[in-house]
This record gives sequence, C-alpha cells and structure tokens, in this order.
Amino acid sequence: MAQIPKLDNAPLNLSSLRDQSRKEILTILKNIRGNKCLVVDPKLGGSLSLIVQTSLLKEHGAEVRHLNADPFQTDCTKVVYLVRSQLDLMKLICSHIHNDSSKGLQREYYIYFVPRRAVACEKILEEEKVHHMMTIGECPLYVIPCDEDVLSFELDLAYKECLVDGDTTSLWHIAKAIHKLEFSFGLIPNVRAKGKSSVRVADILDRMQVEEPVSTSDMVVPEINTLILIDREVDMVTPMCTQLTYEGLLDELLRINNGAVEIDASIMGGPQDGKKAKVPLNSSDKLFKEIRDLNFEFVVQVLRQKATSMKQDYTDMTTTSQTVSELKDFVRKLNSLPEITRHINLAQHLSTSTSKPSFLARLDMEHTIVEAESFDICFVYIEEMIHKQEPLLNVLRLLILFSVTNSGLPKRNFDYLRRELLHSYGFEHMATLSNLEKAGLFIKQESKSNWPIIKNDLQLIVEDTNTANPIDISYVFSGYAPLSVRLIDKAIRHGWRPIKQLLKLLPGPHSETKRSGFASNTSFDSLPGAAYSTNKSHRVGDGRRSLALVVFIGGVTYAEISALRFLSSQEGMPHELIVASTNIVNGHSMADTFVEKLG
Amino acid sequence: MSATVSVAAEWQILFDRFYRKPELYQMQWKHVDLSRNKVAAAPFGGPIAVIRDDSKIVQLYAESALRKLRVFNSAGLQLSELIWRNPGGRLIGMSWTDEQTLVCITQDGSVYMYNIDLESVGSVVSMGHDCFTNSVVECVFWGNGVVCINEAFQVFCIQDFRNPVSCQLAETGIEDFPLCVAVIEPQYTMSGNVEVLLSVGDQILMVEEDGVQRLDVDVGPIQKMAVSQNAKLLAAFTHDGRLLIMTSDFSEIVFEHTCESVLPPEQLDWCGMDSSALPPEQLAWCGMDSVLLYWDDVLLMVGIGGSVQYFYDEPLIIIPECDGARILSNTIMEFLQRVPDSTVSIFKIGSTEPAALLYDALDHFDQRSAKADENLRLIRSSLPEAVEACIDAAGQEFSISQQRKLLRAGSYGQAFCSQFQRVRIQEMSKTLRVLNAVRNQEIGICLSIQQYKLLTPSVLIGRLINTHHHLLALRISEYLGMDQEVVIMHWACLKITTSSAIPDINLLETLLEKLKLCKGISYAAVAAHADKNGRRKLAAMLVENEPRSSKQVPLLLSIGEEDAALMKATESGDTDLVYLVVFHIWQKRPALEFFGMIRTRQLARDLFSNYARCYRHEFLKDFFLSSGQLQDVAFLLLKESWELAKSPMASKGAPLHGPRIKLIEKAHNLFSETKEHVFESKAAEEHAKLLRMQHELEVTTKQPIFVDSSISDTIRTCIVLGNHRAALKVKTEFKVSEKRWYWLKVFALATIRDWDALEKFSKEKRPPIGYRPFVEACTDADEKGEALKYIPKLADPREKAEAYARIGMAKEAADAASQAKDGELLARLKLTFAQNAAASSIFDTLRDRLSFPGA
Repeated sequence: MAQIPKLDNAPLNLSSLRDQSRKEILTILKNIRGNKCLVVDPKLGGSLSLIVQTSLLKEHGAEVRHLNADPFQTDCTKVVYLVRSQLDLMKLICSHIHNDSSKGLQREYYIYFVPRRAVACEKILEEEKVHHMMTIGECPLYVIPCDEDVLSFELDLAYKECLVDGDTTSLWHIAKAIHKLEFSFGLIPNVRAKGKSSVRVADILDRMQVEEPVSTSDMVVPEINTLILIDREVDMVTPMCTQLTYEGLLDELLRINNGAVEIDASIMGGPQDGKKAKVPLNSSDKLFKEIRDLNFEFVVQVLRQKATSMKQDYTDMTTTSQTVSELKDFVRKLNSLPEITRHINLAQHLSTSTSKPSFLARLDMEHTIVEAESFDICFVYIEEMIHKQEPLLNVLRLLILFSVTNSGLPKRNFDYLRRELLHSYGFEHMATLSNLEKAGLFIKQESKSNWPIIKNDLQLIVEDTNTANPIDISYVFSGYAPLSVRLIDKAIRHGWRPIKQLLKLLPGPHSETKRSGFASNTSFDSLPGAAYSTNKSHRVGDGRRSLALVVFIGGVTYAEISALRFLSSQEGMPHELIVASTNIVNGHSMADTFVEKLG
Repeated sequence: MSATVSVAAEWQILFDRFYRKPELYQMQWKHVDLSRNKVAAAPFGGPIAVIRDDSKIVQLYAESALRKLRVFNSAGLQLSELIWRNPGGRLIGMSWTDEQTLVCITQDGSVYMYNIDLESVGSVVSMGHDCFTNSVVECVFWGNGVVCINEAFQVFCIQDFRNPVSCQLAETGIEDFPLCVAVIEPQYTMSGNVEVLLSVGDQILMVEEDGVQRLDVDVGPIQKMAVSQNAKLLAAFTHDGRLLIMTSDFSEIVFEHTCESVLPPEQLDWCGMDSSALPPEQLAWCGMDSVLLYWDDVLLMVGIGGSVQYFYDEPLIIIPECDGARILSNTIMEFLQRVPDSTVSIFKIGSTEPAALLYDALDHFDQRSAKADENLRLIRSSLPEAVEACIDAAGQEFSISQQRKLLRAGSYGQAFCSQFQRVRIQEMSKTLRVLNAVRNQEIGICLSIQQYKLLTPSVLIGRLINTHHHLLALRISEYLGMDQEVVIMHWACLKITTSSAIPDINLLETLLEKLKLCKGISYAAVAAHADKNGRRKLAAMLVENEPRSSKQVPLLLSIGEEDAALMKATESGDTDLVYLVVFHIWQKRPALEFFGMIRTRQLARDLFSNYARCYRHEFLKDFFLSSGQLQDVAFLLLKESWELAKSPMASKGAPLHGPRIKLIEKAHNLFSETKEHVFESKAAEEHAKLLRMQHELEVTTKQPIFVDSSISDTIRTCIVLGNHRAALKVKTEFKVSEKRWYWLKVFALATIRDWDALEKFSKEKRPPIGYRPFVEACTDADEKGEALKYIPKLADPREKAEAYARIGMAKEAADAASQAKDGELLARLKLTFAQNAAASSIFDTLRDRLSFPGA
C-alpha cells in the first residue's frame, strides 16, 4: 500500500489538484536538462512524499538530497534547490554555495521557492552575493491533499509565527490556497470566520476576489457551499487533551508524519533487528477507513470480532466440503488478512501504553482540568510533574490546558511555576516562557475565566458516552466534546447569529459574509432561511450533498477530524464536510513549536 | 432577373474564372498625382504615405519647395503630415511594416521610423558605415524587414524593425547592378533568415547571411520578379517579354505567357528585335492565382489560360492583398479580385445553381409571385447549401444593399430548412456590421472578409486606436465581446499625454469615468504613464484606484509615496509586499528615520524584526533601543550568550564563560529597567549565578558536565557524584523548596541504586511530601523489596492500594482499597488487573489464530 492516498472517493476532484502539483514539480525537472541534484528542505520533502514518488523524480534525472547544514557530495554540476520561502533555509543554501566556490567547484544553481518567491529570501541571497549565480523560479504548491477529505497547507509554524512573531505570511498563503480552490470549484458563497486570523483570511480572500475575480458565469452551482474558518486560538483546550480515537492515539503515541507512522519493524511482526518500518495510514486501507475514527476502546473489540470471524471461517473450511463460490468467498476474505494483522499489531502496541497507570492518571488529570472545578488538585499535580522533571512537553501540555481553562494563573502561582520550570529545565526556557506568554497560552490571570460558561453552554462535558455506538462527538475524547467542532456544527447549521453572545466569550472577532458571484441564482438570496431549512437547496446536480470546507488556522487534530466526519455522517447535516488545515497537530507538536531551541 | 444580370455584366472572364474590380472609394485627397510622388501603401486597407519624389524632376505648383510627407487613410483623408527635413540625401525606400510603422531609408543608409501620426519611433538607425560611403540604391521591404543594396553591390538587411539591427549578408561578388531584386521572407525559408534573389545576367544569385548560391535558370535574363504571398511561387518577366510562373526555387516552370501584345509596335521598332522587351513598371500578385503587370496606361492580368487588359488614363499603384489587389489611382481606389465561388454560383449569367434559384425565389416572393414556391421546390434537397452560399456571398460584398439582399435570401431559405445552423446568419451580420463600420470613408479601412479574418479583430482594434478611433474601437470590442481594456488603456494614456494643460483633478475625473467602464483594468499602468509624463500627483491619485496591491505598491514606491505604499501593502495582507516596502525604505532612508517609519506599523515592524533577527542582529538591537524595547534587547543578548556557548571555540570549562556571563548580566540589567520584567530580571540574575557556580564545580570536580544544565540537574549530578555538600550548597543558594529537594534527592539516589542512603534519607525527618517519592523511585527501579519498605508508610489508603497494585500484589491492594472504603477504586483495580492479563493474552491468542499456514 502506498503512502500516496487514492483519492477516487474524494467529494471534490482532489486528484486533479494533486496531478497539477505533480506536473509543476516535474516541469521544473524537465526544464533543467540532464542529471541534477535536487536538494529539498526536509519539511517540504515530507509534503512531496504525498504528491510524487521518489522513483519518479529519479526518472527525471534527479538525485534527491535533503537540505541541512552539512554540505553534500554530488557529481552533478546542476544543483536544484526546492525550498519553502524561509529565511533560515537561505543561510544554509548560501553556506553551501560559498563552500563550493571555496573549493573551486563550478556549478549551475537553481532555486525554486515554494509556493512563491519572497523578497526577504532573495534579499539574503543578494547580501550573500550569490543571487546573481542562481536561476530563480517558483513552484506554486499551496495546498496538498492528505486524504480524501483532508487538505493541508503544510504550514507547521503558522500558529507560532502569527501569535509570537507577528508574521502573518501564512494567512496570505491560506487565502491564496482557498482562492486557488475557488478557481477550480467555484466561488464559495458563504464564509463564516471566527478568530482574528480567520477574519483576516476572509478579508484577504475578498480582496483577492476583487483583484483577480473567479469568473462565475460558467459555473452553475459552486461545489463548495460554505467556508468555515476557525482559529486554533479559539480552542486551545482540545489539542492539549489526549486524543482517544484510533488515529488520534496513533498520532499521540507514534506521531503520524505525512500519512504514515514509522515504528520498529519487530512490532509489525518483522525481525528484531532494530530496523524501522513505515506503515502508511490513509483511507486507501479499507479497514483503516472503517476504524480510524472510532474510539480506541471499541477498535479493540472490532478487531477481535474480525479475527474471530476469520477463525470461524477457517475452521469451517477445514471441516466441511465447500462449493466453489464459498471457496472464492473465503479467499476474498483472506485477502483482507494483511490489513487485519497490521492493525492488530498496531493496536497491541498502543494498548501497552494505554494500560499504563501513568497514562490513565494523565487522562484523569486532563479531565479534571477541563471540568475546572478543582484548581488545587491540578496545580499540585503539575507542580509535582515539574519537580519530577517529567518530559517538558508533557508538562507544557497540561500547563497550557490549565492556563487556558482558567484564563491564566494568579500571579503568585504563575511566578512560582515559572520559576520551578526554569530551575528544573534550565534558563534557556526563558524564551519558551516568553513565547507562551505572547501566544496567550501560559499567562497571568487578569480576569475571571469564561471557560465554565462556555463548557456548559456548549455541553462540552458529556457524562455517559457510548464508545461503541456514539450519538455525540464527545466519544472522541471519551466524554469531552471538542469545543472547535461544537462551534463548527453550530456555524454550519445556523450561522453565527444564534450564538453571538457565546462567541464574545471566545478570543477574537467573528464574521459572516455572503458573497455573490453567481447573481443568476436567486434561490439562496431571495428566500431567507431556505438555506438552512431544506436540504434541497444544498444538493448539487447529481444528488450529492454540497460541501462545506472547514479550515483550521493553526492546526487540527485527528480527533477533531474524526468528530467532523461523525458530524458529516449525521442525519440532517446539510453539507458533507472536508477539512483543511495549516497542518495536523497534537498537543506535543503544538507545544514543541513554542520551545526555543537554544541550548 | 435584371439585377442579377447587371452584377455579372461587370465581371471579366479569364479562361474559366471571373474577376471583378469594385470601386472602394473616391479618393478624398486633392492635387495628389501619384506620378510625381513616392507612395507607400500598407496592405489590409492600411494608410498611404505620400512624398514628392526627389528622384524625378517635377514642376512645382503653388507649393513650398520643402517636401511634405503626408499620410492618408485608404479613402484619401489626410491623417498627418510632416515637413521632410531629414538629411541623408535622397529618399530611396519607404514602406509600412506589419505594425504600421512607416520606415524611410535615405541614400546614406539612415532608417527613419514613424508611427501613423508621423511621430518618430525609436531613434534613427543606420544600415551601416558601408552604406554611408557607398549610397543605398535599392530597398526591398517585407512585413517587418528590409534588404538594401548599395553602390558597391553589398547587401544589408534588417530582419525585424522591432529590433532594428542591420547586418550585412554575404558578399555577392557581382560587378553590375542586378537587373532586379526580390526577397523570400524569413518565415518561409529553411534557415529562418531572409534570402535575397538577385537577377544577374542569365543567372539568379541567392544571397544569404552566410553564403551565395548561383542558380542557372535557363530562361535568359530576368527583368522583374515578384514572390507570391506564401513564397512558394515566383513571377518573373524575362527579357524576351515572357511572364514565367515558377516555383520559388526555380526548379520548375508552372506556366508561361507571352506578353508581346502589350508592347506598342513603335517601341518594338525602337528596341530592335534582338534587344530585350520593356519590363513592366510594376509586377505584383493578385491573390494566389493571377499576376498583375503594369505599364503606362495598361494593367495586364495574367493567369493560367489567359489574360485580361484594363486601360487607365492616369497613373496607378498596385497594392497586393492576400485575396486580390487594390488598385490606387489619383482619383479612385478599386479592389481587383477573383469573384468568389458563392457569388459566381448566384450571379453567373444563366446559373441554375440552387443558390441562384434561392436568390431568384426571394425576388419572386417580393413580387408576390407563386414562382417563389416553385423555385424552392426545385431546390428542396440542396436548400442548406443554397442558404450557405447566399450568406457567404453576402460576406464577399462591399455594397451594403447587396449584402442585405443576399442575407435576406439566405434568411428566406433558412425558414424552409430545419437543420441549418441559425447562428451563421447572425455571425455573418455581426461581421458585416464591423466591416461596414470600418469601411466608412472617415475610417477608411477597407477590408475584405478574408483580410479581416486573417488580420483578426484584435489587430483591427489596435489599428483603430492607433488612428484615434477609440469610440469605434470600444464599440466594436464591446459588440464582439472582446476585452475593452486595450482600448480604454490606450485612450487614457493618450489623454494624459495630450492634456498637459488640464488640471489634475479635472483630468482625473475624466479618466476615472472612462476607466471604470472596464473591470479589472490596470490603474497602475495608467498611473505609471502619468508619472512618466511628469504628472506625479495625478499618478498618485490614479494609483489609489488600483485594486491589485501587487501593482499598486511598487508604483507608489517609484513615485516616492512610501507611507502610502506601506499602508497599502499592510492592508493587502501580502507580507511579501510589506517586505518590499520595508527594504525599499531601509535602503533609502537613514536608520533613525527608517525606525521612525516602521515603529508604529506593527506588521512592518514585526517582519523587519524577524528578518533582522535572522540576519542583522546588531541592527535589530539598535532598533529596539531606539524604540525603548529594552526587554527585547535583553532577550537578544540572552540568545547571543547561548550562541557563544554553541560556538566551537567554547569548549566546556574554557574561559569563554566569562563573556557569556557578562552578556547575561547585561540582560539582567536591561530587564530590571522595566517594572513588568521583574521575573525575567531575577531569572537572568540566577542564571548568571548558576553559570558561575557550575564553572566552579567543573573546576573542583574536574568533570565538564555541569555547565548549561539546569539547577535541578546540577543538584542531581552532585548527589550522583556523591558530593552532598555541593548539592546542599546549590539548594540553599537558589532557595530550592523542600518538596523539590526530596524528589531530586530520592531520584538521584535511586539512579545510583544506593538503597541504604535512600532509607537513611527517609529517616532524616518526616518527608514533607510523604513517602510517595520513595515508593515511586523503588517501583520504577523494579525494586519490589525496597518499595515494600515505604508502602506501609503511605498515609492515604488509596495511594497504598494503587502502589500495591503496581507491584502486582493484588490481595494487599484489595485490602487497602477496602480499608479506604472506596468501592469505585476497588472495582477499577480489579478491572486493571483483569484487563492487563486479558489484554495481553487476548492479543497473543488472536495472533496465534491468525497465523494460518501459507497465509
């Protein structure tokens, strides 16, 4: 099974999107004749693995390397850098070229910026006097399909850059990506945004429509009916909680990168030689598609059931005489065996972690913090974690959760924990603390927390959750319904108006716009409420539901994606949902972006 | 039928083909005698340039001795004029390029170029020094290029007037001036470069850039040549009065025609039989199937199978077109063309073609005669072709009434046939409306329908705006559903150029009113034009209306509106534009002024900080100091101190820690400047202190393992090394709480598995956080026995129960839980035990079950 997912069942024509991207990359390679060394920055390399096989790059004469500080060896006289427009990468490239010229190596250099050229990057190339030696181009990769219903803008640092550094480049990137989607799938008529960044993206998107309008005459009904933009900042509680869906847990414990996990081959039943095995995880795997969104507890049951039924079939086979069609049936089932084995191996590996008392204690504590009724217990727990010098990211996750649900900590506690943190983990984390403070994730309390009201109004805590047959999204965290998804649910069904008061309690402004591109179609505008009350108006020509694109700015977790899939499958949901995000995150990866790597 | 007859009566027959020569215009000009002038007429109904021929001796009437270069449209309306004062001797060649630039080449090889308004385009180019010393004698033009021959028989060429560079072709080595010259355009040659054909004696020289080829053509000296439109054929007039049509590589003679009949007998006598025949003054192709020869008063058309003669009593000029030739005389402009097939099928005398019957049927219908029906019935099966022919013939007509009548016939027939594409008539009507509009003598672009299709509507519109017919151009582009931007843009720029006296405000209003007609038009481009014309203020006002920030911002910068540029860039959300502006200002302004400009602009400030943090550290410090962000300077200093630690020079324990500590202390001072950063200030102070202590520890223990570890780690390391005094010293120095101290010491002792010391430590005094750390440390180290020493001492029965559970003592766990009277806990413990055992065994058995043989 390949890491590049099949997109045949995608509700949008995402394969054409991916083919386009692939073509862009191959065109670059084709236009540079002969053998060349393709140097890709590692992050981008990961993204490319979702678009194009390395073998295909090799067919086009490219020897692929990752960009890092060390100069690389190659016999090629042509070096092609394919990099994101990041300042720090420019310094690496300059040092490579200086290194080459100091050795008297004469090479042709090409640099292709993803997704576009950047003045600041070129400025560094100029200052380093290598600009004139390079052929500069761009490769407009703005969005990458990760799966049938998930798109990624591949902006890992967006959240930190926006909130800590004040660099809003990613917002323009997101707007551009959506605008590009609109060129393929039609102008999106309804846009609802919550959060500072989201409102800004909606604003930039409108500007882009003025500057470079998506023509609407040849498009009867736009394929995407509604765009929901939501800032991660609005809900920092959810990503800090441990995800309990199968896919979420895989991410928490093994970290899914570009749709695959890398684990010891021995876990997957391979030899115990310390080698790593890469296991692709996407909906091309039918079994995974079936169980990825389920609560892990239930996944174990499902797998057991499957295995038992296989066993039963096997026994039947050996004892009785079968007709040919029964045999055929059996063999077909046998084909799904590798998939079952794969997931049983993974699930077993996960369960060794989930059954540990420390894991359960941690879940317990997350729950206590989210319930926000016992401040002292939580405080003492975190204090002890620091004293025990538990891994910094574990501490930061709970600390952020604690601070966010309490709108910060009272000054005394705040200063105390900060001091203990610096003492335990080192003074280099002064910068980390400053980052967290700037991002509003670990702050001094200035006002009473809104969290209890929000929690109650949106029914975020659900006591009895049936993990096997869930009736509510709260199953993804075994009792906590993600705030973000609750908001999205409301936004899609009724717009912001009914929850205006509540929105004021959450960070950032909100906006709701109706964009008229398709003036000819009056059914939307002339019948107020029609869009919500009947499903008919949301059907595109062939009877499918129209789409709502949910965009997370600052990252989305797998558990949230699962919850959205659950919503999408619900009776009465007017739209089918697809998710786009700057990147896919979990509490660890989010907290990690704020840690200053100085030491 | 009378009308039909009269149409065909004006045709001439050449073998089996008909030709006609409708009059296009009565020339509007006065006192223009073609014989006194050099004339250049552009194809596609283009303009005509006229200047008195200085190679002829002419009588001056009431006119200035200075020559005037004048440009007329095809109907003879003057468009512009210019007094010719250019030096350089005689005007040798004059022609229009494809872009309708008038090119004039003088004797000394100077090339003057003018637009249709006779304004200079580009600077004067020279054909080369050799042309200066040896005068240019002959010029042959094609679409966008020219070939010149000078007195030294050298050949020069300009391949493309858009990039006028002269180059010399290969030396010909000839000694006499060639009898005639022709060129094959670069687009039709193998090499992609021009080929020049020179007729010298019995031979033809083919001159290229890098060589000369001699072709022996067995037809005797050629006196005049003309290459056909597609360069496949060549018409050659030989010394013995024959016209040969050959392939252009001279390999084959397609046919020949003897023209002796046109030679006046006395001339024959004059020349004697052995001397050559008088070559025609002009030789040109008329479309692709006949050739025109012009001698005084006689125009001879030769085609396969015959010839036709026309007599003129005034001089004329042949203007070849793709589908015929225009004949310009002093008084009229005519168009000589082969009668199109559709027209023939309708109007040929006695035609019984369906189209003719249809046309006839309309006549009958108009006269309310029943014969209409009869005609229709006759042609029922071929009605669609008949309709098509009528529509096509309408397109070929220049007379509007004739067009209308033919279209009516088509439309009449269409009513009786179901499958006919109805849009054909609409399209044809549309095309004809456009053609009739531009054929109007005020406009004077008399295109046939083929020419129009070849030229394309967008080029036509370009020509209209060049001749200042903006309104018509706008109407046509609107009518044809084309982009109006070109028209409006050209108009706006022209308006700015010509309105130097109009105040900015008024001009802006006029411009905006028109510009807003066209969505998506580039205001920035108009503004750039205004700026070029020295109207910076107008430019600023115009660029304000540009919706595309990526165009607006660079322009604002170029007209010096930096503040506005920064604001617009920020609004656009495009950080790249903000960077563009920031770098621009940074480069142009002194540092302090630059700082002042970005200080209050958050996005610009942040982006600058990010760039500078990555690349211009010191400069960023200056900025923070200038804006009083002392804490940010402090953070920069801290970062520097870490970079010092990372630098390869700083091996552990080296004296480099000195500068590091200094930096940290500096940071400490800066933090303490502001009230809000007490915490950071304190931390920096502690950090400096820690580094000093760690350095001392490294010196005393001779182990480079302390620097850059945390306070907690330092304590643990000390204990692990057995240096309890040092550990205590660190503890008191940094006021480490008892709670933390206990955790650290317990864990450190467990690390070195010093269980006795651990027990001793537990008995020192009652631990402030109870015995849990001891239990955890032992359990983690898998020392069940050690753990059991402390579990009974746990105060909370729940903790006790869980501790027992962790080391697998189910019974004790259950006892403790029941002691706590906590049913829920009991149940949970039971479950974890059950699950632990079950989970692993279940999976193991599952796996066993699945290992089928061969699967």
